[in-house]
Amino acid sequence: MTHPVVFETGEPTDLPSQGLPGTLQAWLTRVNSLAILLSSIAAGMAGCVMTWEVAGRYFFKIPSDWQDELSIFLLVGATFGSAAWIQARRGHVGIDALQHILPPRADRIRRRLADIVSLAFCLFFTWKCWSLLWEAWEDGQITGTPWGPSLTIPYGLMTFGMTLLTMQIALQVLAPFGRQRGR
Amino acid sequence: MSGLTIGLLYGATTLAVLFSGIPIAFALGTVATIFMVFFMPHSALDTVAQNVYQEMASITLLTIPLFILKGAAIGKSRAGQDLYAALHAWLHRIPGGLGVAVVLACGLFAAMAGSSPATCSAIGSSGIPEMRRRGYSSGFAAGLVAAGGTLGILLPPSITLILYAVASEQSLGRLFLAGIGPGVLLVALFAAYAMLRHRFEFRRATEIAAKGGPRSPIIEAEHFTMRDRFIALPRVLPFLILLTGVMFALYGGIATPSETAGLGAVLALVLVALVYGAWRGSDLKPIFESTLAESGMLMLIIGMSLFYSYVMSYLHISQGTAEWIVSLNLSRWFLFAAIAVMVVVLGFFLPPVSIILMTAPIILPPLRAAQFDLIWFGIVMSVIMEMGLIHPPVGLNIFVINKIAPDVGLKEIVLGTMPFVGLMMVAIVILCFFPEIATGLPDYFYSKKR
Repeated sequence: MTHPVVFETGEPTDLPSQGLPGTLQAWLTRVNSLAILLSSIAAGMAGCVMTWEVAGRYFFKIPSDWQDELSIFLLVGATFGSAAWIQARRGHVGIDALQHILPPRADRIRRRLADIVSLAFCLFFTWKCWSLLWEAWEDGQITGTPWGPSLTIPYGLMTFGMTLLTMQIALQVLAPFGRQRGR
Repeated sequence: MSGLTIGLLYGATTLAVLFSGIPIAFALGTVATIFMVFFMPHSALDTVAQNVYQEMASITLLTIPLFILKGAAIGKSRAGQDLYAALHAWLHRIPGGLGVAVVLACGLFAAMAGSSPATCSAIGSSGIPEMRRRGYSSGFAAGLVAAGGTLGILLPPSITLILYAVASEQSLGRLFLAGIGPGVLLVALFAAYAMLRHRFEFRRATEIAAKGGPRSPIIEAEHFTMRDRFIALPRVLPFLILLTGVMFALYGGIATPSETAGLGAVLALVLVALVYGAWRGSDLKPIFESTLAESGMLMLIIGMSLFYSYVMSYLHISQGTAEWIVSLNLSRWFLFAAIAVMVVVLGFFLPPVSIILMTAPIILPPLRAAQFDLIWFGIVMSVIMEMGLIHPPVGLNIFVINKIAPDVGLKEIVLGTMPFVGLMMVAIVILCFFPEIATGLPDYFYSKKR
């Protein structure tokens, strides 16, 4: 299994740097940087909301009816918002046992195929995310809690993150056509 | 196509796709989607995204990023080194006290950070060089830290136990309490081994010196004044207060486990800012980036593992396999041993997160039918998965140690960890004979609470 050494983030790898893929990658890198900043803020805010939930209930007897839901939205946003940034660093772990067995050429083909299958799945999943978001928007869907916020919020965050992730994998698939940066 | 054939096909496809090197999250999602296309109504495909969201939008699961944030805040600071230095100053009079200090520091740090590799990295970066400087053999020093680091998945707030609580529908509060006894047992076993090993290395060094050979530093006595000991405390105490404070909030009825995660994360960030002055954007950036790198990767695996399990359940694969295992009428302990071996083998390739979520629907019903306490089993399963962290071929902690002490060879590290794999097996046997070590504390606490 490939292991990220925990609490280290690694450098971007297998990214195109020239031609149209390179231009798109430069744009996506900027969007990813913004997404990781917003995700960091969301994660920090989720911690604060939870802390307020405890303090509010314990010290001020304030009912906690919206905090859990808001925390879920923030953390779902942070999870999907950071997915493309992680992918740019090849941070989504996989089993790399074959890497040590296959000859380099065959291993390159295996890696390319693995990227293409990942892309196909993410493309399908992103399409379903967009459908879900559209449905929630059309029907005015809300959560079934007393607070009842719109479901377009978490679905929108998931869709945004998955779209970025799919674009990132697509650019890594296209990397050989625009000279690679990193490994 | 029969259920058995579909089940076998599902398992074989999963293995093939996982071994192709596709990231685990996407691999599980791909397999589940392919089987949805061929074996489920087409309308089911429209619910894929909703399914994943609903599985992930659990407040218990979403405590994981916050516990990781707490661990990253503490792990990125000097808290680990300070904790180890303080324990060393206080325990140096005990024979093998340096090794005992490393084990205790690992246990305490694991309980604060909740991460095995983070514990290895934080304690090992100063503990291994110091042990080697003091004449301990490199393999022993590396093995001790690698094994001490594994306590992170057993002691609260263990992410592994959070996932097990979700997968087995057991109380997270009970599981956290159940991990403490076995955690202390492992600390005691590791510390006892550290003392014995010190004795052995001390004797050998004395004999060599007596024969006129080089004098190893392990023979030299260490001195810490009372002033040295008290100077080491102020940086450590706030974190120990955080550890006990969070546990008090959880079990004192002040906060739920999910709230504890948020509270712990915020308090850890505040403490790191106050004690180490880490409050600027440049200090916080690596903490948040590393949190998101780990939690984003884990949460996607969790979401897709749950989606994978949903498809497995819809196709009746998990129920069918569970019923088949029950119908074999295996003896209670043979069933346990077979499942334990399977978890060990899976641990060679998969992270604990995936093992728990993928196997729980299959292995838990037969264990329940055999009247095993699922809280107890969750703890034993965690100890088994701990072995995978320090066992070749892919023990994560081995690679962390190799990274922080690159001059200690991989072979030496692996040999150094082997006695600890044996000690973990001993701990499992002890837990089988005395399950109260795990279940006693939660039973006592919750019966009192009632």
